[in-house]
Amino acid sequence: MSQVQESIFGGDRSEKRLEKVPLRKAWDMCVQNLRNRRGRYMLVFISIAVVVSFFVITLTYQRMLTELRKNEDVHTRAVMQRAGLVLTDEDAAIKQRDRMIWLLILSGSLAFVGVTNTMYMSVTERYREIGTLKCLGALDGFVVQLFIIESVLIGLVGSTIGALLGFILTLLQVGMTLEFGLLGWRVVLVGFGAGVPAAILGGTVLTVLASIYPTVAAARMKPVDAMRVEV
Amino acid sequence: MAVTREIVRTHDVVKTYYMGTEEVHALQGVTTSISAGEYVSIMGPSGSGKSTFFNMVGGLDKPTSGEVYIDEVDVSQLDVYELAWLRCRKIGYIFQTFNLIPVMNAIENVSLPMVFAGKSSDECRDKAAELLKKVGLGDRLTHRPIEMSGGQQQRVAIARSLANDPAIILADEPTGNLDLKTGQEIIALLTQMKEEQGVTIITATHDHKMLAASDRVVWFTDGKVVRVQNREELNIQVGTIDGED
Repeated sequence: MSQVQESIFGGDRSEKRLEKVPLRKAWDMCVQNLRNRRGRYMLVFISIAVVVSFFVITLTYQRMLTELRKNEDVHTRAVMQRAGLVLTDEDAAIKQRDRMIWLLILSGSLAFVGVTNTMYMSVTERYREIGTLKCLGALDGFVVQLFIIESVLIGLVGSTIGALLGFILTLLQVGMTLEFGLLGWRVVLVGFGAGVPAAILGGTVLTVLASIYPTVAAARMKPVDAMRVEV
Repeated sequence: MAVTREIVRTHDVVKTYYMGTEEVHALQGVTTSISAGEYVSIMGPSGSGKSTFFNMVGGLDKPTSGEVYIDEVDVSQLDVYELAWLRCRKIGYIFQTFNLIPVMNAIENVSLPMVFAGKSSDECRDKAAELLKKVGLGDRLTHRPIEMSGGQQQRVAIARSLANDPAIILADEPTGNLDLKTGQEIIALLTQMKEEQGVTIITATHDHKMLAASDRVVWFTDGKVVRVQNREELNIQVGTIDGED
């Protein structure tokens, strides 16, 4: 019936170690995974995009107003006056600044909670999958690598969509409360610079940080325990 | 018949879990040995420690004390790379709940262990298709698990477990989630793989259908081996429902 099989650990022990899977392969798997899960990730993108855009709106809108206030042009002043956005004295300026800081803290923490919770859930619901991958011979490092690449991609895409969306909404807000004619290139550029890059960077970093903890925890678990986790 | 070789040997394996402050003695000194090419069933009621034993043999968990030897190598002495190599190349796992990756189709699922083993994409795809044909799913190559029945999913899992031509297949309650007829088909498939590939099959089960296919049955109770029966000692003249046997 069966022939004698060669011994599992026969020969050179140094060859009986698993090599690291090349980064290219991890990248392929991530892209494949994102494509296959697009329905599920649509929700993740939306949650990240919504909170990031809220953050961008608060940041950019105030920055643009500040820029407009510097303008000495009579027409601009008149429009701002009509909208009640001209600061008459120092008191009003301080009040305005305090309100802006509050809004920023609020939208910042909302973004933080939104992004971390979304990523945390999307990793923990895959504990079983991580356990299976480990049973099939994935090294801990590979699992972590896989999820980090994935979260960078999710973070970048989600935050970029959110930041651009937020910026467009801000332009609409300024245009509608004041006048679209006031949106000169200078005001637009200043607003863009104040919010968009920071939000994309912050959103991405937050997304990656939020997924590192559950990923490392899952990768370190014994495969049997990871598969047993009920989410 | 070829010379038999011990492929799995355990010596006085003890496993104690801590659930809160309470100690659970899952295994209390298990000493067994399994030869290459054998089909061994581990029987016992749930909570008897068979799954725990199983995880020890598969290198998925480490014993509290005692040794597990896979092909005369002490598993607890292996570093992570060696352990991953063992899991990837030499052991195939089959689970009660199939554990396929839901977003991957059949070919991609079967390819996974080969990807980890560092094979090229073309090689993976060809071998995966070949294995899927062998388990009778030649027409389901690009189906996702959700588009397949339980029996078909378990077939994919069997194909996946064979991906790197392992020496041992560990099947934890492989028929537990399947109906009687499908369960029998899966057992027949496992037996066929044993004959064709000469792979050692170890299953944990409390399904009495699986006895008929086994060369040997190891009975567990309360974390101990209480009885070992060879095929000849088993009274396996159990009638089947459709009466084919």
